[in-house]
Amino acid sequence: MIRVRGIRKTFGKQEVLRGVDFTLPTGQVLAVIGPSGSGKTTLLRCLNLLEVPDFGTLELGNASLAFTPGAKLRPREVLGLRKQTGMVFQSFNLFPHMTALGNVIEAQVTVQKKRKVEAEERARMLLDKVGLAGRADYYPHKLSGGQQQRVAIARAMALEPEVLLFDEPTSALDPELAGEVLKVIKQLASEGMTMVIVTHLMKFAEEVADYVILMDDGLIVEEGPPKEVFRHPKSSRAAQFLSVLAE
Amino acid sequence: MSDRDIQILIDSFWPLLKAGVLYTIPLSVITFVLGLLLAIVTALVRMYAWAPFRWVADFYVWIIRGTPLLVQLFIIFYGLPMAGLTLDAFPSAIIGFSLSVGAYGSEIVRAAIVSVQKGQWEAAYSLGMTRLQALRRIVLPQAARVSVPPLGNSFIGLVKDTSLAAVITLAEMFRRAQQIVATTYEPLLLYCEVAVIYLLFSTVLSVLQNLSERYLARYSAS
Repeated sequence: MIRVRGIRKTFGKQEVLRGVDFTLPTGQVLAVIGPSGSGKTTLLRCLNLLEVPDFGTLELGNASLAFTPGAKLRPREVLGLRKQTGMVFQSFNLFPHMTALGNVIEAQVTVQKKRKVEAEERARMLLDKVGLAGRADYYPHKLSGGQQQRVAIARAMALEPEVLLFDEPTSALDPELAGEVLKVIKQLASEGMTMVIVTHLMKFAEEVADYVILMDDGLIVEEGPPKEVFRHPKSSRAAQFLSVLAE
Repeated sequence: MSDRDIQILIDSFWPLLKAGVLYTIPLSVITFVLGLLLAIVTALVRMYAWAPFRWVADFYVWIIRGTPLLVQLFIIFYGLPMAGLTLDAFPSAIIGFSLSVGAYGSEIVRAAIVSVQKGQWEAAYSLGMTRLQALRRIVLPQAARVSVPPLGNSFIGLVKDTSLAAVITLAEMFRRAQQIVATTYEPLLLYCEVAVIYLLFSTVLSVLQNLSERYLARYSAS
């Protein structure tokens, strides 16, 4: 479960998040949509502390954090939270000096101190799950973008996280390659993986999400089940954003 | 070229090569390993350490880069005994050259670390790694690849620079050549011969550099 209350974040003079609240029960999928610059990626990055919020509280798994400006978090708190989240980046960010298998093994051995044999067993299982069992020994540059992103998903699941975070996972991909990534994400959703997905693919959001948040200018301007948000938006800002996309 | 010239070249070849193998090569290798460790530590300190440590590292690089290597060697070998620290020629050379490699190398290492994309750090952090783990497992291996060409250049430069150790009495290759010149009075022959041997060493190193570059590039298309 994730519970976010009053999250605010400022970069320089720009207040990117101006007080965001949401709750996501375990096993559900949250899609975050909105125009670029609306703060959706920053919100996602606050969930694993790649950005540390200035204000607010965050509960995720067994971690519970409160933020105040200038107060430094203890490294153990930060690492404790990150071990319960897995992140999939827009640009994959696979480790280029390791094979697909090595990418998925790495954190299990370095962070979890698992034995290599067990880590490899889990890594192979995860690669199989994303349909890449046959590519285990390939280095990332030998894989297509879609394959790289699927390895990245396997890597993000290596530590058995409570939540998977996706930052526009298909934005860097051709539509046909995006399809294979979306399929994997849908499969994870059907298996009850808790996920937060920042995306600009409205149709995908509607299909995969249990709940949708529409952000604009650092605030949530519309939220609810996908059918309501997409079909019957209550706010004029949401209606405007969705109608522009529909054109 | 007279028979005598040829005989001198042949007679001096083995003594020169021996000096190279006994002094020039060990001095270069030991110095480079120590210097490289110093370079990595210095780079990391300058990038990430507590400010006073950073100042010390900056000061060290400033001094070493701003003064001639020859003068540094003189200070270590001829100067320090005045301060009660007397070192043999070989350790003096090791210290002098290592400090130099460390200072110049730290800039190479720093540039290589900076060249690794920010997304690599973020991916490592998102998996719960500490900064040290991310550095050791993810960033440094990638930085190593970037820094091989410039470090290879430094190493080849170092092999040639070790001839400076002749002035602090170390019986390395160039000093050996000077000694032979003193008895044969054939400076042109002997200094050209020793130059050829240095060229030989550098060429072997260039080949090794290419091989290691290719090895480190095995995971990359570029």
